Amino acid sequence: MEVKTQEIWMELSGHQILKGIDIQMPTQKLIGIIGPNGSGKSTLLKCIYRVLKPTHGAVYLDNRKLSDYAYRESAQKMAVVAQHNYYNFDFSVIDVVLMGRSPHKKQMERNTIKDYQIVREALEKVGMSDFAQRSFSTLSGGEQQRVILARALAQQTPCLILDEPTNHLDIKYQLQLMDIIKKLNCTIIAAIHDLNIAMMYCDVIYVIKDGIVVADGKPEVILTKELIDQIYEVDVELIKDSNGNTHILYQPAHRAK
Amino acid sequence: MIKNKQSLKKPFYLIVLIILLALLLCSVVLAVAIGSTDISASDIYQVILFKLLKIGDAQKFGSGVISDIIWFVRLPRIVLAIAVGMGLSVCGVVMQAIVKNPLADPYILGISSGASLGATLAVMLGIGAIFGSNFIGVTAFFGAFFVSLGVVMLANINGRASSMKLLLAGMAFSAVCSAFSNFIVYFAKDKDGIQTITYWLMGSLAGASWDSIVVILPFILLGTLFFWTQNRTLNLMLLGDETSITLGTNLHRWRQVYLLISSAMIGFIVYASGMIGFVGLVIPHTIRMLFGTDHKKLIPLTALVGAIFLIWADVLCRVVIEGTELPIGILTSMIGAPCFIYLMVKKRYGFGGGD
Repeated sequence: MEVKTQEIWMELSGHQILKGIDIQMPTQKLIGIIGPNGSGKSTLLKCIYRVLKPTHGAVYLDNRKLSDYAYRESAQKMAVVAQHNYYNFDFSVIDVVLMGRSPHKKQMERNTIKDYQIVREALEKVGMSDFAQRSFSTLSGGEQQRVILARALAQQTPCLILDEPTNHLDIKYQLQLMDIIKKLNCTIIAAIHDLNIAMMYCDVIYVIKDGIVVADGKPEVILTKELIDQIYEVDVELIKDSNGNTHILYQPAHRAK
Repeated sequence: MIKNKQSLKKPFYLIVLIILLALLLCSVVLAVAIGSTDISASDIYQVILFKLLKIGDAQKFGSGVISDIIWFVRLPRIVLAIAVGMGLSVCGVVMQAIVKNPLADPYILGISSGASLGATLAVMLGIGAIFGSNFIGVTAFFGAFFVSLGVVMLANINGRASSMKLLLAGMAFSAVCSAFSNFIVYFAKDKDGIQTITYWLMGSLAGASWDSIVVILPFILLGTLFFWTQNRTLNLMLLGDETSITLGTNLHRWRQVYLLISSAMIGFIVYASGMIGFVGLVIPHTIRMLFGTDHKKLIPLTALVGAIFLIWADVLCRVVIEGTELPIGILTSMIGAPCFIYLMVKKRYGFGGGD
């Protein structure tokens, strides 16, 4: 699916967070959005998944303006794994994942066997099948994150948006989650904190600082020592391991020679 | 494996529903039988059959003392108890979803203090006397309804009404209304009036009559059915506005619609029975603890349990102290609170919080 942002400006309580973001997302790719805290990554994603309305500019899905879609239609096009998923009420895991089917359902339509099957497959994909009957609030942060990913998968959309998906996960599940989404056959847009994860998994990355795109391209091409210093003000060393993968090593200031 | 569990679970909830429905019917007959005059079960259903369908002996069941006690004294109270219990419990569930807070009850958004301001105005200043014998109920209805409209409007100023803004607006209106009620009570210095208000605020089903029931019961039933059909949106409400948008539903409009419908339901209930506390909080939570948070099960189960609970609460009110009647609001809190505490202690129930 084609996702395009056209000159997006966003002002939040007097601050210009986004200053004209123009991105034509490549289709069927894993697209990483990176940038320091407060650069506007989350705000950009929120504009794309419709929770925020840009002050100027527009988002296009398949060349049609996002605001022209009914909410149900846009939820059939893109699924979201957002940052905070804390609920005041206690749902079972399967109830949470079943809600991923709601954009495909009318108000009074019942869940069919097929819906349950989709939900079961989604839980299997994230390795949470055994937790189906557990209550969501008793799960650890990482397990909750995987359940929310399962809900997004159950939506069966051609586009998936993730806001720092590896946040609460330990390293095994960081890699596992990235492996899962890497295998998906759809357009994936993810805000990513960890530059090594971005380097390993993304097909394309966009670097955002102070509300504008400062660089974009293949990670191994644009993630250079100079760029990282310019964006994050951190000294790094890039090394290639025996498999030919590039790793970023950080050089903290107090250890500098 | 999941599928098996699901197919096991579904009939279970339906069976519970059918058992509850049967319990409700038994409760009606039993509750009619209990009182200062003993009445046999066969008399009861024959009178009901005759009155509803004109089947049976007109001489014996159409008129007379037994027939009158059943049809004009006891049955209206019980039917009203069904409507009120059902309405309060369902509105409790809906209100908790609207404000996304498990501690909400049907009266939370200023409705209770609006109703008591209306009642105070009626009792102390005689406002609304043109509405006839139950003018206190009528002014309370208007008080409740206008306050909830005010809350919705206030919450919509400066951007959309979020659940947090609704709660705050409700608290603000509550404070204003109770201040005015207290002001009037303090300066009126009318002892009888104060007692009338107090009694009214404790709730009672004694004023039940068929005239009001034929309006209230269908309205409550339709409201309950409506909310049952809305189970998907109600579920989404608990996840919040942002998640709901990504799942294809914009909650804003629905929240207003649900709020207006439940305010009208509560308004009718307040009109017929005053303020009956705790039912709308305890029944929804009890069902949640036992059957989970899915509104598809929650709405019908709370409706039936609420109705049964209030029938028996009212029976107790009539018989617990001989020669007099206990206000039902006192009793629902007396029974409800300990049951609730028991459930809280027995089953780990963190009000959804993970801690």
